[in-house]
Amino acid sequence: MGDLVLAIETSCDETAAAVVDGRRILSNIVSSQADLHAVYGGVVPEVAARHHLTTVNAVVDRALAVSGTSLRDVDRIAVTGRPGLIGALLVGVATAKALAYAAGKDLVMADHLHGHVAACWLAPVALDPPFVALTASGGHTRLDLVEDYARPVLLGQTLDDAAGEAIDKGARLLGIPYPGGPGLEALARDGDPTAFDFPVGLRSRGPGGLDFSYAGVKTALLYATRDLGADGVAACRADLAASYQEAIVRPLADRLIRAAAQAGVPAVSIGGGVAANGRLRALVEEGAGKHGLSVAIPDRALCTDNAAMIAAAARFTEPIPWPDFVGADAVATAPPGGIAA
Amino acid sequence: MTTFALDTATPDPALALVADDEVRAEAWLGRGPGGGRRILEGAHHLFAMAGIVVADLDAVVVGVGPGGFTGIRIGIATALGLGQALGIPVHGASTLEALALGAAVCRHSDDEVVASVIDARRGQVYAAAYSVGAPGVVREVVTAAAWDPGALATALAAVGPCVIAGDGADLVPLVPGVRRAPAGVLDRIGPAHLVALVRASGPRPVAPQYLRLPDAEENRRRREREGAVA
Ligand SMILES: [Zn+2]
Repeated sequence: MGDLVLAIETSCDETAAAVVDGRRILSNIVSSQADLHAVYGGVVPEVAARHHLTTVNAVVDRALAVSGTSLRDVDRIAVTGRPGLIGALLVGVATAKALAYAAGKDLVMADHLHGHVAACWLAPVALDPPFVALTASGGHTRLDLVEDYARPVLLGQTLDDAAGEAIDKGARLLGIPYPGGPGLEALARDGDPTAFDFPVGLRSRGPGGLDFSYAGVKTALLYATRDLGADGVAACRADLAASYQEAIVRPLADRLIRAAAQAGVPAVSIGGGVAANGRLRALVEEGAGKHGLSVAIPDRALCTDNAAMIAAAARFTEPIPWPDFVGADAVATAPPGGIAA
Repeated sequence: MTTFALDTATPDPALALVADDEVRAEAWLGRGPGGGRRILEGAHHLFAMAGIVVADLDAVVVGVGPGGFTGIRIGIATALGLGQALGIPVHGASTLEALALGAAVCRHSDDEVVASVIDARRGQVYAAAYSVGAPGVVREVVTAAAWDPGALATALAAVGPCVIAGDGADLVPLVPGVRRAPAGVLDRIGPAHLVALVRASGPRPVAPQYLRLPDAEENRRRREREGAVA
């Protein structure tokens, strides 16, 4: 059986397609809608879905062209089936089903979160289990123990806001336009992370004590900006940004390292859009160094939402044979175990 | 020449296979859970019933709305996916125009205007009115839009005798000169009519006809207008 996969991802605000041969990425095309959503201060599901429809076929064409393959060559087609914005997911799923049906290929309905974890399987990172994976983005914040790529085991997750969502909301309070991550990080570079004592986003629910909570830190920033007033905020924006960022990324790094130590694995990985944060990377490297852990961080293009990671997840997900997938459907929510593999 | 036609803009997804001059198969999936998400499954069964395989298709025609946003997108994504994989043309056709072609059989005279009315929820209807001529030829006399039913009734009364069809027909208050088509089969989209429209008027782009902005955009524009006034 060949391993050439065409993958499509439309779960949020990126329209993406990729062609992946085994662990090798032949093309990884992402058409970002971030600019479209900036005027609304966040992703608008209906706007996202409309844009996916006008873009997805061209993105698929481009992925095939760049990879130097055709639809005929691919062994199967993969698509993000869950979780995500339902209207957005359905565009990708309807497209992938029609392509697979007409081309006579099997279809893999892959899990988006599984994709973030499986991104590490792809070359050049090509991380082999066991390891603990941190996935942190605007939509998710979770830790998984990966002893087998086919079955990541959820260790902890956010109980309220996602880390990236907290970053965006905090950035907005400091007057940084959406998406706020890069702006907040740039501002934080000139600030003192210990200037403000924001509550760190930890929750000790469950035996491992590996959950996260970001509602408190967001509220604390809101109160701090109110107490300071406009002039006060202007005077210490960088300190506010640095302290706020620290309250979000430090628990991510600490929990990741602790989880790896508890599980006795030799490596950790970070993925999701927040993995691009330089402070998070530095803290993870530092903690991993102390514990003799190796750190895997895929390229930024593989950390943010993309379709190559969906092809990777598809490698570890049972395909639905042609034509049994004609009734397959997208699902907005994650399954109880966290990842549908 | 075998054309596959589909429309998932209304809650009753419709699909058809049209050979050169005859409708070989036509099906409605009925109102039910999943809406347009069932369309590819329906297509697979339709092809089997007609004794063809998907590779036998020469063209696809898809209803571009108006109707449910998600349904419109599933129909168009399905049509474009099939076209992309098979390398065959995909054409768009108006869901309202197809509805009018189907309902034209119940006109009392050729002069009677046909209004197509689809429930748009929130107290509105997606509607337009047409004079229907030769097979597949329609001329819009009341603009396709998301209408308030009362305003639509007024607009229809102004264009002369008119018959209303579609699942939103009951929402439009009757005024002199305007009557409702018998409820039932005429409320459904005739998928073969989509093909007739394309044949009569030539290829049209596959552009979704939402007729409504996303709520977030509507709100943003309102804020902008209010800001401009204040
Ligand atoms: Zn993601």
